[in-house]
Amino acid sequence: MLMRRTERSKRTILWLCVCGLISGMSIGCPVSLCAAEALTGKLVITGSSTMAPLVAEMGKRFESRHPAVRIDVQTGGSSRGIADIRFGLADIGMVSRSLHVHERDLYETPIAYDGVTIILHQTNPVHSLTNDQIVAIYTGAIRNWRAVGGKDAPITVLTKAEGRGTLELFLRYFGLKSREIRAHVVIGDNEQGVKTVAGNPHAIGYVSIGTAQYDAERGVAVKLLPIQGIAPTMENVRRGVFPLMRPLMLVTNGVPEGLPRRFIDFARSSEVTDLVLNQYFVPLSE
Amino acid sequence: MVNKRSSPWLPLFQERCVALVVWLAVGLVTTLFLWLVSEIVLQGIGVVSWEFILSAPQNAGRDGGIGPMLVATALIVGVCLGVSVPLGLGTAIVLAEYTNENRRLSQWVRRSLDVLAGVPSIVFGLFGHAFFCLFLGLGFSLLSGGMTLACMVLPLLIRSTEESLRAIPREYRLSAAALGLSRWTTVTRLLIPLALPGFAAGLILGVGRAMAETAALLFTSGYVDRFPTSLLDSGRALSVHIWDLAMNVPGGNSHAYASALVLVGLLFAINLTSSFIADQWKKHALT
Repeated sequence: MLMRRTERSKRTILWLCVCGLISGMSIGCPVSLCAAEALTGKLVITGSSTMAPLVAEMGKRFESRHPAVRIDVQTGGSSRGIADIRFGLADIGMVSRSLHVHERDLYETPIAYDGVTIILHQTNPVHSLTNDQIVAIYTGAIRNWRAVGGKDAPITVLTKAEGRGTLELFLRYFGLKSREIRAHVVIGDNEQGVKTVAGNPHAIGYVSIGTAQYDAERGVAVKLLPIQGIAPTMENVRRGVFPLMRPLMLVTNGVPEGLPRRFIDFARSSEVTDLVLNQYFVPLSE
Repeated sequence: MVNKRSSPWLPLFQERCVALVVWLAVGLVTTLFLWLVSEIVLQGIGVVSWEFILSAPQNAGRDGGIGPMLVATALIVGVCLGVSVPLGLGTAIVLAEYTNENRRLSQWVRRSLDVLAGVPSIVFGLFGHAFFCLFLGLGFSLLSGGMTLACMVLPLLIRSTEESLRAIPREYRLSAAALGLSRWTTVTRLLIPLALPGFAAGLILGVGRAMAETAALLFTSGYVDRFPTSLLDSGRALSVHIWDLAMNVPGGNSHAYASALVLVGLLFAINLTSSFIADQWKKHALT
């Protein structure tokens, strides 16, 4: 009696298992058919604070497309991103500059660009400045627009606040040091720079090309100056010919595969172009 | 010969001068404070609403609200207090009641606490990152952040509690001993209630420091801005959010001010409630 009961219960369990397997498969089949799509897992991305808001937004959109994926974005600077992928703490690092020589063993993929150019008030007759003239203006050697072919008016020099990526890019390109700059106005973000120049006919400033172009197209009274004769357009930044620019890169330890690869492809795709533009960066695609 | 010192108007003049300087100093401090607060209120009040307080951020924080940051901040401060209050109170009692003030051990403990209190927060952040996140394997989590802050807050808490325990007259302890109270009863029923204002002051300073902390939290509790579901999740504290909006997000200024306004409001509220609670507690314990 006892034997039989256990045997029967065993058989029941067996049947249940079979049924479960079948039903599982029948439900599972469509899922496994799109298994290539159904990504799971967690991705940790660390690095550049300039890129963090952009990549966090990309992560959110990626999560909404693939609900089983979690993307945690941390920040702390480009060098930290590199250190973290070397230690294996992060899957992807964010680096908002070109890799140094000793970092060339890592695999870099640009996801956007950031270009910086000089802006003047729209009514200013000056149409171009050489690099030497720009350096002279920013170090206080030239103080009047007449010296560079403009009206007889004192130059108002705008610079970025300490710690801004744009400032670093500007200083490095022109070979200047922060304390050499003789500025009249210190600005925070790009919008503030554009507004200040638009409100002062004798001002000179430098801002992100994305912001300046966006505002200039919408009638704000600023104009963008070429650098070394190269026009400050999104296209020139995208093609990498504009001199004052930096790539925003996702960096991995070796060629990315699996989830990191999928995310990096997503970050380069046209699906996130609006997010890149929202942060005033230059997207890879139109 | 007229002695200058005894001329009748000089002391009066000196008095006036000193009074003027003191009032100027007071005025300056008050003006600075009012200026700062009014700047934050004026720039931020237009954005703050219930929706802003409760909803999640969108578009890198330029839209949406600060709900997840408030939850994360509350959890971080909660962990911080959960760890630092028992440890701090215990250490302060040992230092003030169970060790001789001049013993080498207690001197060393005291000195190291004073040094710790002056250490920049970024150092705590790096320590927390190395110890809690990596060595203990907690990763970027609210737990790591809270415990890092606890390390930061402990020296403040211990020193202020210890000072207020020491300020209690010796006669109280002698009377308690004469009444035959045990040392433990004396500490819990008499000394702790009396030391509460000092403890509360340390706690307020500590919570203030914890809530305003950015550098240490960036490396420990992290930057993720979704609603945390456990203490092991990474979560963005309100101060980290303000830093991010002000420094990294073009056009994030108005939301940065609004978040700052909420943070300042919270600090005021905590300040008021904790001193109120300390008062009530003291009354109840002593009657």
